[in-house]
Amino acid sequence: MARIIDLAAHPAVYATRLFAEVGHDVIRVESAAGDQVRRLGPYLGDREDLNHGVFHQYLNAGKKSLALNVQSSVGKQILVELCRTADALVVMAPPPVGEQDLAAANPRLVVTIVEDEEPEICAYARSGLLSITGHPGQRPVLMGGHVAYAATGALVAVATATALLAAEQNGQGDTVHVSLAECLQSLFEQAMVTYASTGRSTERRGYRGAVTAVSGAFPTQDGYSMFSIPSHPEGWRGFMSWVQDSVLLEDESLVEETERQEKKDFILDRLESWSRGFLKEDIVSEAQRRHIPASPVATPLDLARDPQLIHRGFLREVDHAGLGKMLFPIGALATVRGTPTGFAPRLGQHTTEILSELGYSTEERQALIESRVLWA
Amino acid sequence: MTTDVAEPAPTPSSQPQSPTPPLTGVRVLDFTQILAGPFCTRLLADFGAEVLKVETATRTDRTSATRPDPNAKGRQDRPPAFLNTNRNKRSIAINLKTPSGKGLATRLATVADVVIENFSADVMGRLGLSYDHLAPLNRRMIYVSMAGYGHSGPRREWTSMNMNLQAYTGLMMVNGAEGDLPTSISNSWNDYIGGLHATFGILQALAERRVTGKGANLDLAQFECSVSTLAPLLVASAASGRAPRRMGNRFSHAAPQGCYRCAGKDEWCVITIPDDDAWHALVGVVDAKLSDPRFDTLVARLRHHDEIDTIIEEWTSQRSKEEVESRLASVGVAVSRMRRIREVFEEEGPTAFRSMEDPPGHMTAATGVPFSFARNGIAPLAPAPNLGEHTEQALGEWLGLSPDEARALGEQGALV
Repeated sequence: MARIIDLAAHPAVYATRLFAEVGHDVIRVESAAGDQVRRLGPYLGDREDLNHGVFHQYLNAGKKSLALNVQSSVGKQILVELCRTADALVVMAPPPVGEQDLAAANPRLVVTIVEDEEPEICAYARSGLLSITGHPGQRPVLMGGHVAYAATGALVAVATATALLAAEQNGQGDTVHVSLAECLQSLFEQAMVTYASTGRSTERRGYRGAVTAVSGAFPTQDGYSMFSIPSHPEGWRGFMSWVQDSVLLEDESLVEETERQEKKDFILDRLESWSRGFLKEDIVSEAQRRHIPASPVATPLDLARDPQLIHRGFLREVDHAGLGKMLFPIGALATVRGTPTGFAPRLGQHTTEILSELGYSTEERQALIESRVLWA
Repeated sequence: MTTDVAEPAPTPSSQPQSPTPPLTGVRVLDFTQILAGPFCTRLLADFGAEVLKVETATRTDRTSATRPDPNAKGRQDRPPAFLNTNRNKRSIAINLKTPSGKGLATRLATVADVVIENFSADVMGRLGLSYDHLAPLNRRMIYVSMAGYGHSGPRREWTSMNMNLQAYTGLMMVNGAEGDLPTSISNSWNDYIGGLHATFGILQALAERRVTGKGANLDLAQFECSVSTLAPLLVASAASGRAPRRMGNRFSHAAPQGCYRCAGKDEWCVITIPDDDAWHALVGVVDAKLSDPRFDTLVARLRHHDEIDTIIEEWTSQRSKEEVESRLASVGVAVSRMRRIREVFEEEGPTAFRSMEDPPGHMTAATGVPFSFARNGIAPLAPAPNLGEHTEQALGEWLGLSPDEARALGEQGALV
């Protein structure tokens, strides 16, 4: 088990979440005000405070919280002492303590420095990703749920874990620089390849006909379901043997994908009136039985009670302080390992424990609290 | 020399480096196809692992089948998406339908550090290459499966493709604003997410193996990887019994925040105003109508967001996105024009994307990694292999077989 010191802001905090998820000792260092991630709603039980934000609840689960003013000189000193006991530090640029001081304190330390230059929506627009998110010609949208930051965090995790493995092998730490702008650009490499090889710039494709002519989100009685009908003639025939639409069946040219592309809107409009007769679970089950790639278009509420996630142990019943028993997601890697992480800490919950470990007496800790270096 | 990308400035990952990449000596037997798995193994290759891609002539990686590209310049033996995803790997062509081919794959697995596949749940079992088949032969083996829904549960048989995962993981109903249609991103987002989680899981398993000497069985589900990235909203729904509000381009900590139409066809810019200082700077540039006491606080601006957006867009829609960006940036407002893929490529190609010579005399674009190590090395870029290019070499290096013995395997039907 490695010890990871976590000074990651939101764009990188999914990285330290992953380290906590696989069982490492992650210490989140926060200011007295508590970090930005604690302030992201929605809030559990509509309690808008530092402990009930859902992003904090998930992204900081299984971590310890040390409330320390790392801008003060004493605070910097304590951070260096903490780094002597650690294997990695994940921090935003510029770090509060210089790289050389950190390396001098602990030559085995991996220091990951994340460069984050602008707000999420600006970084997303500049990266090119905004231009491919949304419906054709309509207002593009930022991906929701700050999910782009989970992707950048996963890249930070991979970079850090690689340097950590090397440090364990050869006893030497490293400094890893991660650019969030480059991380976002790296997430559309297919579009890059398409442009480089054909000169075609990928655009927003919307929700229907995006893959094959007959693919996309089809309306049902209770939401949408997603289908992709393969482009070959058998795929179409198999689908029609189910749909039995007399008008579509009559037009034999439609066995060809090129014809279907030509008449896409006409076909999809007819199919939408067919799909509206079903519940999404029923239409998806029948499609899967017929080997047609299909799935519900789920909301997070659907997923919060999804049978697959419950069966696999991704969703587990926990007894949450204040909220009682509820199903809680433990993460993909914790699911594979079968070991759930703990809850997210209160601000400064582990300050006393960590400072004691570093050799600070009760009196010394009290003095640091009074001088506003520590909060416990 | 023909070229379809600008000649790059020297970059860390396009130049040979003296430090040894961290995963040097790690052998990866790679059965993965299309994108999620190959993206993972490409990262492992970037970190120095020896990735041996198992291919079958009769059924090559379906990246080829799904993305034919007759207009592609440069190499024609593989589609561009394949070339980019499988660079820095080696290729062995094995006929997995014959007993001797299966036997050969099994022997390779006994000397592999990592065996990885992203087939549907039952495929490796039918080939006699499941974790249960192989684990008794190699206790140090890290076996990674990346089926869409994993190898257990009521959805284990379900076929999954990128758009199905975008739909089922909640992404399409989280993107966009309340009342919007399901909203997608035009790339294989979930493949990257799955590949990154698998890579992290493998790095963790390698670190643990150093201590325990034992391998691992990672039955990952790409579905769960993507759901994990949206898990905070699941927590919200599980607690409240409600679907979270779709925020569109808005944010509770900044108002106004949005994507605004600019002059021209389908041109846009984004603006975000986190505090009152930024607001006053915006008001000073945009329109006196915004100078209204009703908009003085963040809470008030959140309440009147629609009205404010209308005024801002009246101003932006009469100006080019470049003008909007430069005028607002000059007063310290956080703003960015929406760049298209073409613009990103043209403006940043040499730094955002690497290039390598493949085939000889032709520079072709390749993606690097978005980070750098001060001390550790990253493998230099090398072209994707031809089908079966390394069959004989791998049989020699992994199994100690001579060229004659390799030929004998071919005669038994193991190779293609």
